[in-house]
Amino acid sequence: MDTAYSFAAMPISNYVFPNDLHVHWSMMIVLYPYITGLVDGAFIIAALYYLFDIKTLRPVARFSLLFALAFLCCATLPLLLHLGRPERNLNMLLTPSPTSAMAGFGYIYAVSMGVLVFIVLFVYRPDLVELRVTSKGWLQFLYRAMTFDSIDLSEDALVLDKKIIRFLVGIGIPIAVVLHGYVGFIFGGVKANPTWSTPLMPVIFLFSACVSGICAIILAYIVIRKIKGRTIDHRCIKTCIKTLTLFFILAFAFEMLEVFSHSYLRTGYHHMVEGLLNGPLADSFWFWQVKIGSVIPLIILGVMGIFNIKDRLYDFMAAVVSTILLLQVFLMRWNVVIGGQLMSKSARGYTEFHPEWFGKEGILAVIIVMVIPFIILFVFSRIFPFWTTGNETDV
Amino acid sequence: MDLSYRMRLLIVLISIGVLAGGGLVVKRLLIPDSFGVYGPYRADAIVEAALVPIRHGTNASCFKCHPYEANIHKNGRHHTISCEFCHGTYADHVKNGKKTGTLPVKKGKEITTLCLRCHNTEIKARKEKVIKTVAMPDHLKDQNVKITHNCNQCHHVHAPLKYIIRAKQITGLMEAGS
Repeated sequence: MDTAYSFAAMPISNYVFPNDLHVHWSMMIVLYPYITGLVDGAFIIAALYYLFDIKTLRPVARFSLLFALAFLCCATLPLLLHLGRPERNLNMLLTPSPTSAMAGFGYIYAVSMGVLVFIVLFVYRPDLVELRVTSKGWLQFLYRAMTFDSIDLSEDALVLDKKIIRFLVGIGIPIAVVLHGYVGFIFGGVKANPTWSTPLMPVIFLFSACVSGICAIILAYIVIRKIKGRTIDHRCIKTCIKTLTLFFILAFAFEMLEVFSHSYLRTGYHHMVEGLLNGPLADSFWFWQVKIGSVIPLIILGVMGIFNIKDRLYDFMAAVVSTILLLQVFLMRWNVVIGGQLMSKSARGYTEFHPEWFGKEGILAVIIVMVIPFIILFVFSRIFPFWTTGNETDV
Repeated sequence: MDLSYRMRLLIVLISIGVLAGGGLVVKRLLIPDSFGVYGPYRADAIVEAALVPIRHGTNASCFKCHPYEANIHKNGRHHTISCEFCHGTYADHVKNGKKTGTLPVKKGKEITTLCLRCHNTEIKARKEKVIKTVAMPDHLKDQNVKITHNCNQCHHVHAPLKYIIRAKQITGLMEAGS
């Protein structure tokens, strides 16, 4: 790393402006696009089943909706932890300004939350109606509210439900795409930062979001089913992997195209961006994100796509590749968010990022924020049945 | 209440519409009256900010009562530095022309810490010709003084080169007046 560092950064005296020494957008801002990305990808899986009729995805379709909802509940948590005065967060929604990109995210987030909640309610309605009959007390009240106090499961009502689901998922796709594309735009819109300020940013974020969400669904499905001792639907995993392969090729291609554009265009700050990728980010970008996190999964996905592999091995490989890609996307967020801030506007120096353990943006807080969606998911599992006998394995 | 499923969904839809409309009303109520008069901010904030008591003075405020320090400070390399930068806020010391409190005076190692806020090579806050920076304890070793020395044992804090120039003049390393 030292040679690369000195090669690119040699004429630079490591002169850093005092206001650039500290990385202001730290780990919570890494988590923010990561969590919204998981929501986005999980929603894509559900949309493929409910709107595009990809029947093999049935075993994971309902679960991915709940997974998306659990993570969407926590999508703003990192932002609130990052704010100095989190109680003022709603002020920006009261008086949105066209020059403030964040207020736009607030509105898009609220709309996507509303749409996702209603999709879940309509998808689960037949189960909720049944559970309402058998439950008691507060839970029964909850089920009554969630079924709009109706126990109508007639053919007519179910047909209507199906139409509503298709409509909601139909508008849900552009909303989900805008939700995460907007996150990319928030970074791409920071014109003061040469590594972020590219129109490719929303596209890169969007595709890598789909990758992380699909991986999370594959991994969660395999792990939960294994723990519960239930069967794994191989055809479902296969469809997920095929979809993942497509999105990952797009994501990786765009990630590399961005680097290529920077290096071909050689804009004013190019020497700094090049020095950043080959210097402070040489390990986390080139080695971990590109070589380990992208090239290896690409080979594994290629093997899984071309060769005939036994079902059990295929599922195992799916779990492995999903784990690597989940880390790859996290590293990509890290390299963009933290990495992008390591270069000083002086164009003559790089700073360092030292993560803290116990601060409200520290490593412990990161772990807690990532655990909360799983707790919410567990609570959901007590209210909504993840799997029914109907979607055990058959389609 | 025995309503058909479609009717219930209609009620849910209308409720969402009412909630959204209600949200707009609440939004109007929550926005302060003076918001947007001059731009996307609360116009009253300008008046409120103007009414905040002034806490800082100028060097002239300090020099009125401290002529001895003023004389040294004005003639030294630190003449552009604000008194408050090292000594603290004027409002904590004087109110309505009367002394109300004593500002803490840095002593011993605290002085070295204070000096290094600007004069540390690691910080590189300004170019070398604007602010001379040193690395500690290398600077002490280079000057052949004890490693436990504080900055003010060689440098006058108000005029850092006062003693240095004088010493050079005495030893003949520098001619008087240069």
